Amino acid sequence: MHYDLIIIGTGLSGLMAAKTAVDTGKKVLLVGKGMGALALFSNTIDVLGTLPAGTKLVEGLSQWVQDHPEHPYGKVGVEHILGALISFSSLFTRSYTFASAGDENSDMLTATGTYRPTYLVPNTMLSGTPLRKGEILFVGFKGFKDFYANYLAHPLDCRGITLSLSGSSQGELTASAIARLLEKDSIRKRIGEEVKRQLRGEVRVGFPALLGLNDPLAIKGDLENLIGTEVFEVPTLPPSIPGKRIFGTFRDWLLRRGVSFLMGYPVSKVVLKGKRCEGVHVSHPPVANVHTADRFILATGRFLGGGLVADEMRIHEPLFSLPVSQPSSRLDWFGRSFFDDHPIYYAGVVTDSSLRPVDKRGERILENVWIAGSMLSHHHLIKEKSREGIEISTGYMAAKHVLESP
Amino acid sequence: MKQETTWPKRNLDVCTRCATCMAICPVARVTPLFPGPKQAGPGAERFRNSDEPSVDRWIDLCIGCHLCDMVCSSGVNISELNLIAKAKYLDEKGRPLRDWLLTHIYLFGRLASFLSPILNPLLQNTVVKWILDVFFRIDKRRRLPGYQSPTFRQWFRGHRFKSEKKVAYFYGCYANTNEVDVGKATVQVLEANGFEVVLPPQKCCGIPMLGNGDFKEARRMGLWNVPSLLKTVNLGLDIVFSSTSCGNMIKHEYSHLLHIPGAEELAQHTFDLFEFLRNLNGSGTLNTHFKSIPKKLAYFPPCHLRSLGIGFPAFEILRLIPGLEIDFIDADCCGLGGMFGFKKEKYDISEEIGKDLAEAVARLKPEIVLSDCEGCRMQIRHLTGLEVLHPVQVLRDALQKEG
Repeated sequence: MHYDLIIIGTGLSGLMAAKTAVDTGKKVLLVGKGMGALALFSNTIDVLGTLPAGTKLVEGLSQWVQDHPEHPYGKVGVEHILGALISFSSLFTRSYTFASAGDENSDMLTATGTYRPTYLVPNTMLSGTPLRKGEILFVGFKGFKDFYANYLAHPLDCRGITLSLSGSSQGELTASAIARLLEKDSIRKRIGEEVKRQLRGEVRVGFPALLGLNDPLAIKGDLENLIGTEVFEVPTLPPSIPGKRIFGTFRDWLLRRGVSFLMGYPVSKVVLKGKRCEGVHVSHPPVANVHTADRFILATGRFLGGGLVADEMRIHEPLFSLPVSQPSSRLDWFGRSFFDDHPIYYAGVVTDSSLRPVDKRGERILENVWIAGSMLSHHHLIKEKSREGIEISTGYMAAKHVLESP
Repeated sequence: MKQETTWPKRNLDVCTRCATCMAICPVARVTPLFPGPKQAGPGAERFRNSDEPSVDRWIDLCIGCHLCDMVCSSGVNISELNLIAKAKYLDEKGRPLRDWLLTHIYLFGRLASFLSPILNPLLQNTVVKWILDVFFRIDKRRRLPGYQSPTFRQWFRGHRFKSEKKVAYFYGCYANTNEVDVGKATVQVLEANGFEVVLPPQKCCGIPMLGNGDFKEARRMGLWNVPSLLKTVNLGLDIVFSSTSCGNMIKHEYSHLLHIPGAEELAQHTFDLFEFLRNLNGSGTLNTHFKSIPKKLAYFPPCHLRSLGIGFPAFEILRLIPGLEIDFIDADCCGLGGMFGFKKEKYDISEEIGKDLAEAVARLKPEIVLSDCEGCRMQIRHLTGLEVLHPVQVLRDALQKEG
């Protein structure tokens, strides 16, 4: 099969690239080994969490790209970063929507009772509100080991309770099981009544981020009616239900727009001819299907999914054998202490301003392959708190470059 | 084209315990009785010892949907680990007669078809269903599929269409004796594209046995089918299948799970029907003289289609039909799991998984639902009461000449 564009990688940057490309009617194949890392993160949209509080994003980003031209944001430019965020948000218009607090970062409550700066927050989560003692009742579920209401409540001087969901006390309850149960009217009624009974003047109730998959806002609203307080959800340990919502929204939208979606099988090999890629082999033993295209976007992520591979001595990029910028010695990958700044974080594929890979001399290695996402070099996702912003803006930008290329 | 390396059989050590599989498992989200793919697969595998008896009492709750494999970013073949563990557990504990009956239905196919005027009402009869429920633990709430006469093979015998271009068709048990129009429509669509259809000698592909952890029996079916199908391949023909379950079995499980000689070669020439049609479309030779079908339909991709790794070719082809409003159902597993949902002890799990699909269909309000798997079609009829067809039947209708 021949396509206008093949995107390798089904994480947030691959999905964003696909959305951007298909908006203009291109024939797109999106192929990836899994569903990216969306199920692993809390899935609020971090853009640049390290900005001082009160900084408007556009100003903070403008300064940042000036100071860090090699950073992925430097390659995308502020105008397109903002455009990418708007494009992302435009997918979420019905029940589950994303918004920033006045174009600035806000502090998001985490499942350990700490705060984390983030930019775009779903309408079911709480951020940016300074909390008073005793303001919130946190509710956990018996058998759900990825959220502890008491643990979270303690540093906030609030209370936590744990409810029993199903009649039987059968060990573990998974996140997806609870998310599903909360979609049932009878279960919500029972929970709502029980929580209401246990309130002692709290004005907000916090649940783990499991308020259903399909219509989280309706579930939040229903619980608010039943309990009589505001209700919100707190992202917690993986698997992430908010991540599933994002993935599902992208997937359904892309499929309806005619994107060919191939999830579950890795690209095992690429077909190169000089500086051009001609096709990819999607491996599913004992066959490998070949798909050809005019242009490609590589968005295979970092080490988890295998976009970058580290052996004892070196980091390499397995599909195109692109050079990976990295510390010259293996000994310099990590700092001495766990919370040190580890140089390995900055490793990645180096590109020119059009997001195409370049060699040490700055010469383009491939003419029709663009790089997007966390596999790019010169960023530190954790320190900068920039993961989703990098993924969304570079996926968007790579697709824009593809559309504009002759 | 042929793969150079074969799939590593038990690469459980690459599991990073990320729990993405837990987010997707349809069984884990409806019952705590199944620990979920992370624990059932790579988790428990670290403790399993082939010399010791199996303690995996819950392992047969894995429905075999392969969705965990599809989302694993480390490439662990979780459902395979589960299946191998299930086989060991059942080998040791023994398989009930009911399982043998359910997995060897193909033996009675032709007889059942011949007796269908008597058999079909019996299969709906309350007393008969009660007997099946109590003595064979086949849940009486499950509607048993009726048989049709003549069978697809019998209909084909009286069929004539000659062409230079030929293609072989693996029709599968269900199309042969229970849903003959699917077989007919497949033949008609292929002929409308200028192909003469050939039916190589074939038997049940063996997936019911495999799903029940009976590797020996599954292998026996494969050892029969592969040489027969290879003969056709050696004559220069490709083979198409209309059942994604049969197809997944032949194209993938025959080789790396059952090690049937020649299976790898056969896989290179075996295609899903709509994959085959999509390839024709890619080379500009697909018959697209469609008449308008002004209907609102919804398409459900079967689990085995997802695990074939070809995307959703039926959905792509159907979108070409003018007038057709076709929606994609956003649910992942229908819950039938082949024989899984017929079993009394699993019926409730099957129903519960199916509820998510039923809700997804209800949100779309289609007139007809389409799916490439006979199991999914049975389950969707059961859950929604709607008419459910194979996409090829709609395609055939779009290609048929007026009058």
